[in-house]
Amino acid sequence: MAVASATGGRLFDDRVFAVEHQRRRGRWRTASVACLFALLAVICLYNILVVDTDWARMGSFGEVLRSVGRFLAIDFELIPHLVEPVIETLMMSALGTALGALLCIPVIWLGAHNITPSRWIAYPLGRFAMTLSRSIHEIVWALVFVSAVGLGSLAGILALAMRSIGFIAKIVAEAIENVDPKPIEAIRAVGGNRLQVLRYGIVPQVLPVAIGVVIFEWDINIRRSAIMGLVGAGGLGLTFHRQMVMFNYPGVTTVILAILLLIILGEALSYYARKAVI
Amino acid sequence: MRDVATYGPSGGQPVERRTWSRLRYPDTLITFAVQLGILVFLGVSLVYMDVRLERLLEFGQRFGALIVDRYYPPELSLLSEPRYLQAILDTMQMAYLGTLFGLLLAAPLAWFAAFNMSPNRRFLYPFGRLAIMGCRAVHEMIWTILLVSILGFGMLAGALALTLFCIGFAGKLMSEEIEAIDKGQVEAIRATGANEVQVFFYSVLPQVRVAWTGIAIYTWDVAFRAATVVGFFGAGGMGWYLQRYVQQLDSQRVAAVLISIVLLVTVSEVVSAWARARVARAN
Amino acid sequence: MRYSRSGAEILKGVTLEVDADDFCAVIGPSGAGKSTLIRCINRLVEPEAGRILLYGEDVVTMSTRRLRETRRHVGMIFQEFNLVNRMSVMDNVLSGRLGSVGTMRSLLKLFGRDDIERALTMLDRVGLTDHVDKRADQLSGGQRQRVGIARALMQDPKLLLIDEPTSSLDPKIAREVMTLIRDVAREFKVPTLVNIHDVQLATEFCNKIIGLQDGLKMFDGPTEQLDRKMLDTIYAMEVL
Repeated sequence: MAVASATGGRLFDDRVFAVEHQRRRGRWRTASVACLFALLAVICLYNILVVDTDWARMGSFGEVLRSVGRFLAIDFELIPHLVEPVIETLMMSALGTALGALLCIPVIWLGAHNITPSRWIAYPLGRFAMTLSRSIHEIVWALVFVSAVGLGSLAGILALAMRSIGFIAKIVAEAIENVDPKPIEAIRAVGGNRLQVLRYGIVPQVLPVAIGVVIFEWDINIRRSAIMGLVGAGGLGLTFHRQMVMFNYPGVTTVILAILLLIILGEALSYYARKAVI
Repeated sequence: MRDVATYGPSGGQPVERRTWSRLRYPDTLITFAVQLGILVFLGVSLVYMDVRLERLLEFGQRFGALIVDRYYPPELSLLSEPRYLQAILDTMQMAYLGTLFGLLLAAPLAWFAAFNMSPNRRFLYPFGRLAIMGCRAVHEMIWTILLVSILGFGMLAGALALTLFCIGFAGKLMSEEIEAIDKGQVEAIRATGANEVQVFFYSVLPQVRVAWTGIAIYTWDVAFRAATVVGFFGAGGMGWYLQRYVQQLDSQRVAAVLISIVLLVTVSEVVSAWARARVARAN
Repeated sequence: MRYSRSGAEILKGVTLEVDADDFCAVIGPSGAGKSTLIRCINRLVEPEAGRILLYGEDVVTMSTRRLRETRRHVGMIFQEFNLVNRMSVMDNVLSGRLGSVGTMRSLLKLFGRDDIERALTMLDRVGLTDHVDKRADQLSGGQRQRVGIARALMQDPKLLLIDEPTSSLDPKIAREVMTLIRDVAREFKVPTLVNIHDVQLATEFCNKIIGLQDGLKMFDGPTEQLDRKMLDTIYAMEVL
């Protein structure tokens, strides 16, 4: 589209054309990327909705709604029986997080490149441990530990601990790597040895971060702890499973509400605790 | 508490006795009480739940024997069976749809739930917040179980559960990004008389675009990991076989499934890391 | 000396002497090597060649252990204060004694009564009596630098090294800080070597000037002898 101009004439037209061309190319690129995503989505949707889903068994839309409706009630008689599992869930999350934080320490030492003993062996090892811990789903960890130490909360605690190591170690190691070198320089200038540099230079900077992330992870672990029981590792999950197996749908809803309450409590506690530390 | 002498400017006789102590009331007391409380709670927990630490030590000793005895050699032939490969594909499809639709729904919800940019603080803001928090609070496995009981076994329940999970996971991160943007750019667009939607697209989106791309990749990572396990509770994919073999006590096949899960998750992470690096470089 | 084997030479054969009652300033354009020079003396930066004689002992060839012992007696004040922000003023000042308190006790922050007395005295001297228990990051720039001064004095130093004490402070505070430094240096009879870019302050407070340019020593003498022409020579490369 040529645009006449009083001053530029043809040169101006060229520039307008160039800008439009760029924008068109940009739009094309975005459009083709979007098309690619959409195509993949259609393929997956086809596979799921057409190939995999047993629509006959699911029934009509009304039947589905009725299925949902079965959950919309609360089983009040169940509530007193929830007290113990709730406490157990909370305690599991606390112990699991605490154990995870403890086990983190060697991983952090290895995985922070300014304090690691060896950049070529120890550091990748530390990083690998962090990644492994986070890659394995907590259910998988729970299965592993249930088969190792038997049913019950010990398996759940261990599973939570192993799952938590990755995140806590990653955050703390990064904090150590990003530490402000100035206080460290000052402590060295005063004649401090390595331990003193650590205690006075690094720890005051890293400790609030470390405590904050442990609290944060504890809050997340409440959520995880609630499902440990689904595979026999203690907590509310077992109650949930039992209610499902008994087809006591209101009971299921009640358990979920209990979990939600716990999570809200945990989030509130975690929020205020982290503010106090930072 | 310490009695300390302080001296005048050029040494000499003590001028006065001052006290200085590291302990401060009430701060030190509170810190101490909190630390003690936490330790007590942990101790009580150990006792209350009757945690047998001896079992742990036993396990430590038997660990090697346990692994070799039960899980070795892993039944790796499983990995070449067509139905298992199909399961892997199913897992990926569930993860893909879950992430895609989860993100697509999370974006507007994040916009509603961001206090600074929410188009309607009275209704949409609480709605957005509750929706995201609701999706987050319920564990993805619980979503799976609930949806399986409503929709039956299969990938649909899994994909839907993952969608809900992603809404919660990505939604929170995305809304936090919106809350951290620069107000100046928003004011400028507002000043031109644009409506809320235009303001979003022209001043919010450009600012959060990069961070949101990173969040999207991170969400895929986490969703894929979850997708490998949702089958355990009735959805499709690799988890289905995991549950079968655990129930059948076929430990060698269980080991094979676990190995395949770890391998796939690792591959997915490598791809994600590469994608994130590319995004970082392009910006 | 060089920062790295392959890097450019930062300091090219600089020789200087600081006597016991000197308050000596090192001036020069940026990049001249002033900061490097200061940091070489207590080996925060490792010199590649040369000798640094501190009361007769060569710092360059010292063992790590002896170096730490030596550092105990060399006080250092930094441009950006280099305080431990989350610790209280008192703890920051006490950390000046880290070299002398045993490792175990220092890890538990158990400093003796003498140290606390001395810390309180120093804090009084620098005028921070009312801020003893505040967190270091709650103080203003000038106050933080005074904490740094108190920390250095805690060491009962035999030499005071100062790296741009006033660059992060506004002019009025800068003057106050320089006055304080000069006064305490005189009072505690500590020879002082200060790296400073504000020539005005240097000539006003110091009795000896060393001018560096591009790693070479251009001037070394009493302040009175520093004239306009010499200043122009030292700062010749500076484009401003």
